[in-house]
Amino acid sequence: MKSLARIGTVLTVWVFLDGFARAAEPPTELARSAQQLAATTCSICHGTGGRNTSPAFPNLAAQTAPYLQAQLQAFRDQTRADPDALAYMWGMASQLSNETIAAIAAYYSTQAPAPGKSGDAKLITAGKQIFQQGVAAQAIAACGSCHGPLAQGAGIFPRLAGQHSAYLVKQMLVIQNALRVAPVMHGVIKDLSLAQMLEVANYLETLGP
Amino acid sequence: MLIGRIRLEYLPHRWLGSQVALLVLCLYSSAAQAVPSFARQTGMACSACHTIFPELTPFGREFKLNGYVIDNLKQVKGITMDRRETLSLNSVPPLSVMLQVSYTHTATALPDSVVSGALAKDGEVLFPQQVSLFYAGKIADHLGAFMQLTYSGASDHFGFDNTDIRYARYVTVEGGDQGETSQGASWQSKHSLLVGLTVNNNPTVQDPWNTTAAWGFPYSSSSVAPVPGASTKLDSGAGAIGQNAAGIGAYLWLDHAWYAELSVYSAAKTGGVHPLDSTQRAVLKGIAPYWRLGYESRWDRHSLFVGTYGIQARVQPGNGLALRGPVDRFTDIAADAQYQFIGDQHLVTVLTTYIHENQRLNSSFENGLASNDSGSLRTLKATVEYSYQRTIGGAAGYFSTNGSSDALLYANTGGVGGSANGSPTSRGYIVEANYLPWLNVKLQLQYVGYSKFNGAGTDYAGIGRNASDNNTVYVLGWINF
Repeated sequence: MKSLARIGTVLTVWVFLDGFARAAEPPTELARSAQQLAATTCSICHGTGGRNTSPAFPNLAAQTAPYLQAQLQAFRDQTRADPDALAYMWGMASQLSNETIAAIAAYYSTQAPAPGKSGDAKLITAGKQIFQQGVAAQAIAACGSCHGPLAQGAGIFPRLAGQHSAYLVKQMLVIQNALRVAPVMHGVIKDLSLAQMLEVANYLETLGP
Repeated sequence: MLIGRIRLEYLPHRWLGSQVALLVLCLYSSAAQAVPSFARQTGMACSACHTIFPELTPFGREFKLNGYVIDNLKQVKGITMDRRETLSLNSVPPLSVMLQVSYTHTATALPDSVVSGALAKDGEVLFPQQVSLFYAGKIADHLGAFMQLTYSGASDHFGFDNTDIRYARYVTVEGGDQGETSQGASWQSKHSLLVGLTVNNNPTVQDPWNTTAAWGFPYSSSSVAPVPGASTKLDSGAGAIGQNAAGIGAYLWLDHAWYAELSVYSAAKTGGVHPLDSTQRAVLKGIAPYWRLGYESRWDRHSLFVGTYGIQARVQPGNGLALRGPVDRFTDIAADAQYQFIGDQHLVTVLTTYIHENQRLNSSFENGLASNDSGSLRTLKATVEYSYQRTIGGAAGYFSTNGSSDALLYANTGGVGGSANGSPTSRGYIVEANYLPWLNVKLQLQYVGYSKFNGAGTDYAGIGRNASDNNTVYVLGWINF
């Protein structure tokens, strides 16, 4: 039984790594197809290379591939259910295969990130404090501990640097309101006030590549 | 709309003294559609393409310019042995239905159409005002259509309505081939260029902005209230070309910002005698070129468009006159602008258009239908719209048409549609309140007020009727499914 379990573990790891490798290096034809899809369709809202000027739509450039994959799958499977997800992405992702999702994620993850923006110095300073050190009095952990010290993202934890502040605030609100499932975040930001959201979002928007 | 075929006739003089003509003038309402079949095809909510239907968002404009083909449905496919695609069809047909039910009340009742001195019923319910069936969506890769069949309650007719069939594809997309752009990258890798063809039956129905007539404000209005007798060819109203034409055009959409289109139209009338002869009215002669240029800038949650468009149309009056000899030539040149702010809570749109029409009335003058062999018209419209959470909103608009007087062209008919002083001037305002309990259901209360109607504010038609007597309260229930 022990050796069977060991074989099972090895197989599981192999399948996972194989899947990850395929995601990281999609076939050339698929990559080209995904690139065309991104350039002709996704770019209408998300901008060329995933950089856009509208806070209604997130920048996707340099976003982590695992996060993008997870979100596209959640849109397709209709498990992410915030208002904009229903209005836009449930439809757009509905016919995407796992392979195409991986290829799109790979494409955007390799694009140059959006530049940071300047903003209100007071908000930025307060936001930096929250991001880097958290809020001890409210038991709010430092955002950077998961999202990276420069908010560059790490694996399933998304890149936040350079993201539109209004988009970030909206996502925190939909997570607080349980319209979007994000297990870790539900606990972390449950007591975050709107003012604190604005502060940390304004700080994150200033972060460039 | 079906009745557009009637209202959009060229009517320089033929409505003189005719109660039937008055009815024709009354058979007016604005085109206005938004179709759930697009939502079913894309899987996206109405709010992706519309602020408040039928006004388009930037994404809606992209969807239209792309040929109505963005789809997220399973496809019925066909290929050849060398993998050439021969069929790509939505698994669900893109069909929709629209229903409009309305109530109209004018400040003073209209004269009875037969009994002299009597008045018509004051307050008109139309159930329906209009029912439309749409095929709106993808036909094949890069090929899509917006086709509308409409039943009009006022005219009790079912017929062909606004139609726009498109083929569009990207010649190049920014970042499409090279991924990241760079200083050394080719022009193709730094620009997006969409090229499209449109075949349609109404100049401006192909336009993606809401400043032009086919999709302009007001998006719906009464089909039984009196409307001014004079309008430019590219405006909505009694004198416009509307659905009396068929055209084909080519357009370019560069970098999601620059738009250029050249189309040509010829006469295409439904009903009546065919081939077209002297019994038809206002028949386009030859080819009428239509052009459109514009630039749209998008930033943050804002978009701003400025553009220009125009048409040159040669028209034979017909309606008893043979379709030969001299023609009336109309040259419309227009400028327009549109601003949109689309926030999560608040949405604001500002629309404006100005049309100048130069008229060379050789045929009408020679046949005693116009006092002068030339003239001009000018139309100005400006509208501000607001919506809160796409649920409660309203609009306020100003409209004006004026130009050179002509005692025959804008004649004193002795009826509500006449002009005592031969002036085409009409101006007024529209205020509107909307409530949308769902994105595809609109309840609308509209008030149209006139300060001048067919040339004057008081006793404009020589029958003791003032412009304000035509002020209209219009209540509309409008559903799409």
